[in-house]
Amino acid sequence: MNRYVPALRAVGLTQRLFVRQLLTKGRVAALFGVGVIVSVVVVIVSRNLRDGSDGDTEEIVRSGVELMANLGFTMVVPIVALVFAVATFGDLKDDGTLVYLWLRPIDRWPTVVGAALAAVTVSLPVTLIPLTITALLADVGYGLVGATVLACVVGNLAYTAVFMLLGLLTKNAVSWGIGYILIWEGLVAGISNVSEHLAIRGYTRSIIAQQTGVDLVLGNLSLGVAIVVPALVVVGALVLSTLRLRSLDVA
Amino acid sequence: MGESESPIVPPPPPPPPPPPSAARRIVEIANVTKTFKDVVAISDVSFTVGPGVTALLGPNGAGKSTLFRILCGLTAPSRGTARVFGEDARSNRDVRGRIGLVPQQDALFDRLSSVEFVGFAAKTHGLTDPLGRARETLAQVDLDPDDPKKVGAFSKGMRQRVKLAVALVNDPDLLILDEPLTGLDPLQRNRMISLFHDLGDTGKCLLVSSHVLDEVARIGSKVLVIAQGRLVASGDYRRLRDLMDDRPHRIEVQVDDARNLASELIRRELADGVAVRSDTLLIDTLNVDRFGRSIAPITAELGIRLREVVPTDDDLESVFRYLVERR
Repeated sequence: MNRYVPALRAVGLTQRLFVRQLLTKGRVAALFGVGVIVSVVVVIVSRNLRDGSDGDTEEIVRSGVELMANLGFTMVVPIVALVFAVATFGDLKDDGTLVYLWLRPIDRWPTVVGAALAAVTVSLPVTLIPLTITALLADVGYGLVGATVLACVVGNLAYTAVFMLLGLLTKNAVSWGIGYILIWEGLVAGISNVSEHLAIRGYTRSIIAQQTGVDLVLGNLSLGVAIVVPALVVVGALVLSTLRLRSLDVA
Repeated sequence: MGESESPIVPPPPPPPPPPPSAARRIVEIANVTKTFKDVVAISDVSFTVGPGVTALLGPNGAGKSTLFRILCGLTAPSRGTARVFGEDARSNRDVRGRIGLVPQQDALFDRLSSVEFVGFAAKTHGLTDPLGRARETLAQVDLDPDDPKKVGAFSKGMRQRVKLAVALVNDPDLLILDEPLTGLDPLQRNRMISLFHDLGDTGKCLLVSSHVLDEVARIGSKVLVIAQGRLVASGDYRRLRDLMDDRPHRIEVQVDDARNLASELIRRELADGVAVRSDTLLIDTLNVDRFGRSIAPITAELGIRLREVVPTDDDLESVFRYLVERR
């Protein structure tokens, strides 16, 4: 008798397994620690700015928003997403347990979607909670809290999908990912309007800029574009990950 | 009427077992080659396997695990085709649901208990009552389903049995077991071998790899021998054993008059080649049994003191080398 696991059930099974595998105490503590440190830095700096700005509200808002965009969405969101997304298939490939998922009557795409959902399930709270608290504590108003939540969700999903694909394509995915974050997103993306469109950072910063009304470098895209393009990136990366998983050599 | 005398002719060796009929072919490997960059792991291997237990014998690094990975679809062959139930397991989802695999590597989801792990396997096979089936399968391999310990804390033998339970949980039609007896104590080995035979008797196909000759003798009468990535022998185990016994053997004999003994052994046609090194003889013989029976009486007859008789190529590696060279 042929048995198979329906797609939605397979997504749920895979997601639960990956979450258990991803949630090592050390990993969560280290990354949550990064989020807390960034939050503390942002709060201290924004308080200092407020104290030294002689009541210039616009300056306070601009400085707070820039600080959040630079530290939160240039460092915390991509790095946390990188660590968890790469670990999904990367850990299973490295330790040889991928065979227990691969040799099953399950289509490849639910496995990929389940893995991505697991990475988001873990990484989103690790970034969203400290950054939202930071936005609240920075107390600059102008929709920064809502902007932070939206940009965090969009950025997390897009980075997770891209870095999970990277983990399936390369052996040293964390190094490649850090290279991408620092060199491409940090340097190359700022060179021109074209390269801005080729960095996820450009979309998260645009969400912050559009929601708060503060002009940001790399924040010129409309809100619609800043949401739709990362969504397309997610779909594209998941399709490519599925194709890669199909052709993968499993140890 | 008296019967005319006729020369005694040794009976011909039994014919190899016929390949399974098309309908009974569960595994079909045709001209499979697998290379990893410049390394040839499998070279032009072809065979078919039907129901029952078949042992895959070969030294470490011979290509057994690679062959199993190709069969399960975990890696694609560089050339040739591998079919299971007439399909490619790499692309056919339903075929994957009919296979149970014990991989060689000792990798498990270490933070799950045994019942969680096997239960997960049951769920990913779409079984109804996955936990009930997990408990049943764990009991089948002599593990306690209520053991709360994580499998990461299990002994090597217990981990091996967890892997067996995972492979058995979907009641597969094809079981591929890569060195499944590693780490088991003698009692457990007997229990597992008995389980393999019971499963084979129900019409399931079991392919079991091992690098231990005596183990293979107990696992299955049908044997495939693989060495240096090539299939060097296949058929009934007894035929293979005869083949191994009939090969030239090299024996080292230590005596106090090596030259005298060498002459006598050649005169009596007990040695096909002799090398003398001081008090040591290196003897090549095709009839190891006759040599073994004769050496002590001959030395006694000649008044030569026999100190030591050691076969120098009785290890499995030598057998494989011989099988590879005779192809």
